[in-house]
Amino acid sequence: MSSRTFFVTQEGPANALALNKDYSHVVIAGRNVFKVYSIEEDEFVESCNLRTGKNLNLNFSCNDVAWNTIDDNILATAATNGAVVVWNLNRPTRSKQEHVFIDHKRTVNKVSFHPAEAAWLISGSQDGTMKCFDLRTKEATRTFYSNTESVRDVQFSPHQHNAFAAVSENGNVQLWDLRRSDRCYHQFTAHSGPVFACDWHPEVPWIATASRDKTIKVWDLSVKPSLEYTIHTIASVGHIKWRPQRKYHIASCALVVDCSVNVWDVRRPYIPFAAFNEHKDVATGISWRGNPHTFLSTSRDSTLYHHVFQDASRPASKANPQGIGLNCRGDVAYACRVNINPSRSAKFSNLLRKGAAQPSHSEQFCQALSNMQQFTCKEPKETYWFRECARRYILTGRSLADICDHNAAVAKDLKRQHVSLIWSIVKTLYSNKVGEYNQPTPPGNISRDESVPGGGVGGVGTTGAGTGGGGESLAGTGIDGDQRSLLGAGGDTPGAPMSGDDETETDETPEQHLNGHVGHLVGGMMFPAQGDFLFGDGELDPLSIDFDRIGLNGGVFVGTNAALDMQQDWTLPSEAFPLRHEIQDRSPPPEQFPNHGSPDMNDNETQTISIEDQPTSVLCVTSMPRLMAWDPSQTMVDMLKHHAVMGDVQTSASVLLALGERRRSLVSLDEATQEHWLLGYLDTLSRHRLWEVATQVIQLAWVPSVSQLNQQSTTVHTCCARCGKPLLRAGWLCDRCHCAEGAACSVCHQVVRGLYAWCQGCAHGGHLFHMQEWWANNKQCPTGCGHICEYS
Amino acid sequence: MFEARSINVEHKDLIHDVAYDFYGLRLATCSSDQFVKVWDQDDQGNWHQTACWKAHTGSVWKVTWAHPEFGQVLATCSFDRTAAVWEEIVGEGSVPGERGMRHWVRRTNLVDSRTSVTDIKFAPKHLGLLLATCSADSVVRVYEAPDVMNLSQWTLQHEISCKLPFSCLSWNPSLSRLHPPMLAVGSDDSNASSGGKVFIFEYSENTRRWNKPETLPNVTEAVHDLAFAPNLGRSFHLLAVATKDVRIYTLKPLQDSSSMQSGLSRFDIQLSAQCDDHLCTVWRVCWNITGTLLASSGDDGCVRLWKSNYLHNWKCVSVLKGDGTQAQNESASTALATPVGVMASATQSTARDLDFIVV
Repeated sequence: MSSRTFFVTQEGPANALALNKDYSHVVIAGRNVFKVYSIEEDEFVESCNLRTGKNLNLNFSCNDVAWNTIDDNILATAATNGAVVVWNLNRPTRSKQEHVFIDHKRTVNKVSFHPAEAAWLISGSQDGTMKCFDLRTKEATRTFYSNTESVRDVQFSPHQHNAFAAVSENGNVQLWDLRRSDRCYHQFTAHSGPVFACDWHPEVPWIATASRDKTIKVWDLSVKPSLEYTIHTIASVGHIKWRPQRKYHIASCALVVDCSVNVWDVRRPYIPFAAFNEHKDVATGISWRGNPHTFLSTSRDSTLYHHVFQDASRPASKANPQGIGLNCRGDVAYACRVNINPSRSAKFSNLLRKGAAQPSHSEQFCQALSNMQQFTCKEPKETYWFRECARRYILTGRSLADICDHNAAVAKDLKRQHVSLIWSIVKTLYSNKVGEYNQPTPPGNISRDESVPGGGVGGVGTTGAGTGGGGESLAGTGIDGDQRSLLGAGGDTPGAPMSGDDETETDETPEQHLNGHVGHLVGGMMFPAQGDFLFGDGELDPLSIDFDRIGLNGGVFVGTNAALDMQQDWTLPSEAFPLRHEIQDRSPPPEQFPNHGSPDMNDNETQTISIEDQPTSVLCVTSMPRLMAWDPSQTMVDMLKHHAVMGDVQTSASVLLALGERRRSLVSLDEATQEHWLLGYLDTLSRHRLWEVATQVIQLAWVPSVSQLNQQSTTVHTCCARCGKPLLRAGWLCDRCHCAEGAACSVCHQVVRGLYAWCQGCAHGGHLFHMQEWWANNKQCPTGCGHICEYS
Repeated sequence: MFEARSINVEHKDLIHDVAYDFYGLRLATCSSDQFVKVWDQDDQGNWHQTACWKAHTGSVWKVTWAHPEFGQVLATCSFDRTAAVWEEIVGEGSVPGERGMRHWVRRTNLVDSRTSVTDIKFAPKHLGLLLATCSADSVVRVYEAPDVMNLSQWTLQHEISCKLPFSCLSWNPSLSRLHPPMLAVGSDDSNASSGGKVFIFEYSENTRRWNKPETLPNVTEAVHDLAFAPNLGRSFHLLAVATKDVRIYTLKPLQDSSSMQSGLSRFDIQLSAQCDDHLCTVWRVCWNITGTLLASSGDDGCVRLWKSNYLHNWKCVSVLKGDGTQAQNESASTALATPVGVMASATQSTARDLDFIVV
């Protein structure tokens, strides 16, 4: 028996093949090919070409071919013209055609010989009938009407002498008794699409069916037909053949798409046990050579292949049996195969009993199950450090010395001595030498006053190395900053409890939360009166706390576009509340609302920014530390880079942020790296959902691509409150009404500068403060439009 | 240090991939049983299956989350030669208060491959909504959704062909603009004579093409997985490779004149670790979010966690055994052999089921 894979190419594709009873010869048949090959050790030798003679009519065009199971010289073909042709290889003439049965009205799909009765031949046709022919009398003895459109396959049962199965295009399987042509004794719907093939199991009373619905189904017919297995393949299945001596294995080939011949284990119906990928086009027929190791297949690529099992590819062996995942808290999710090959795990497990029978490969194959574990990191030190540092670090709003002191204390409190040391070093190196004037960004609205002198001097000192005069004159403002930050410190402490709310703000009692924030705000910001409507009452809104759940219900929309773009998974309206939330938590840093997108809100703020932006980004140039004997910048850069490399980009980014304008002395640190660190820090912050910190970082960022992050991906559409026309050109001025009524407060009728809150139902609104006051006592819209506004 | 918690996944065949979402609060699993499942964690830390659907008509090899900025989006690839993009839809729930019924819909089916699609990964967010697939027919495909709001439209931007069947790919997640888009692709071809199995591709903005500047020279065994470490602030890249052992390579971009001229980056590639502690095939590697901890898993059924010490030597810091059968063998005498669901505390009787050791 040959044990090699080999093939032969013909002039045209074959539609079917059949082996003789001792598996030594193969006949292939198609529209333009009809040949018998003998199967040698490692090649096919053509022994007879049946497609000869002068008049090659449609009888030579075959859909199917069958080899008589008793008489080695008799072949039958199903012709595309509806004829069933019997061929006798023993005929002395060149033409081997023995008899032509012209009984079917339409094309014949399938012919099949009875396994025990040499003279019985059955055919299934597109006309919906099956006919049983007797080769001795040369007539169709019986006709079976399937009552379906067409019969695609018909097969005698190897178990019952008179039984045969037929499958049809309407998805039905019929079981017939040869002796009763009036009706079938069983009929069941096997598939949702046409059934193309069936095959009786050689040993047990099973029949497998193959369908266009991409499944192979195995039916147990021992009592009444019941579905035993379903194999899901990737394409319509054209042909199936049970593997000899392997109870659970069946070979299949697809009608389209898939050129491989797959052998499945029905117990593992998802992935082929073996795949034979030699064909370049879909296979059209398969036939085992009576043993489980070799089979033949024809294909539309005009080849006839002899396959051996050892050359098969095993898709399952390439399949990755494990999955592993790490999340930002350090948890590990791990899925792995349950049955690990004992020989391998023996090294790792002293539990393994020696001599346990190792299951065969095939047994192992079908026992494929995974279990999954999550290893929860009990003490996620790094995560804890990161979160705590992110929350508690102060990055701006005070003198650098204070910032460093505070942050060093935070790091020390978390037992991160080296990080603490870094902050101390930063303080030593950078806080004394330089005048206090260049705080990164003077905080709050009062900065409007100070930033003017700051900007002026900055402009003078553009060429660098701040003159002594500049330093002095600015020291005054620096003191201011200190005073503020002292006051701010008062606010920090009550704010501290809120650092416990990472992902579940809802857990916290609103009062505690609010107190923290209010204290934070009042102490830290010293808001002038105009700041009240911005935040004061917003603080008292308990719903702002669990914004991510209730946001959808919010009837009042508070618009700013300072939204984090990381929050895309929320729908737009819900962003109203996180925004307020961001603003609250960010109280110590300067209030810069990059509100260019929607000028109807925060008018005050935008004005303020336009002034205070200048000193930070354009005009205010750092006064470089005077030339010292030792320039620490390179060491600083190295140190920051080291931390970035060690995965602690938080320290690198935070130090840069805290340094403010002094970072410019770090000349060897290019902006791309700075941007990289900031983005890295932001990415990690957003993974930990520390939005407040992320927003602060974005606002403090000096790299344009970072500072613009919160101006992207959020769009606020506004409509004119009077005519409903979308406001495209400006956020508040309606082109149609030529009025800015939309910008006016419904209560006080003043144009709203700053936060504008409105009802999404009737589009009326105004100052947040006024709106809240109104809705505290009223249900209806203040304009009198009659809308019952919902404020939550 | 670690508490093991068994998750009863109820996949009917092997699980091929597990993926946390961006925040680590959701899990997606995919299996040969052609199903994808999504799990959500409750406040107690228990995982609950919130979605389960038949995603493909063949084994689902990989599942991966898109950045949440693009929505709740998954991509899967399968033996059935397709890749699919799925989006979770929150229905307009009629019951107020309830978050509404959520379900996953297929947004697109990518059918360009002629063979099994072996890996699929979303590009780092800053590159846009890009998706790379690799397949057993040796092609890497890069798709782009030009409109991030429309997940059903993907255009095939690039096809990079090679000679070896690909098994895995990884985007370089570096956020730095100094690092052009980069992909590492591995092949599980087991023939050592066919040369290196890990290819580095880099996108050149000038030529608008993917170039192949490097092949890792010493990896000639079948590669089952590879992963670039998250790069939050490094100037160089770390690439972990799962082959017969775990390897970690550093790729330092070289700033020499020739690479400037050709526009083709060159790298100084160093093998910084090669660890064969698994003593068998290593199937998966995975980094933590800072790129400081590497997890690897192999046929020994263990997860090993690797960390680099101050000398940049990578050391195994933990071994986590994740094998249910061993737990069962061990506790065969005790009736409760299959711990499923909640592990309240690691009491003595259940400690066996919490099958882990910490080295």
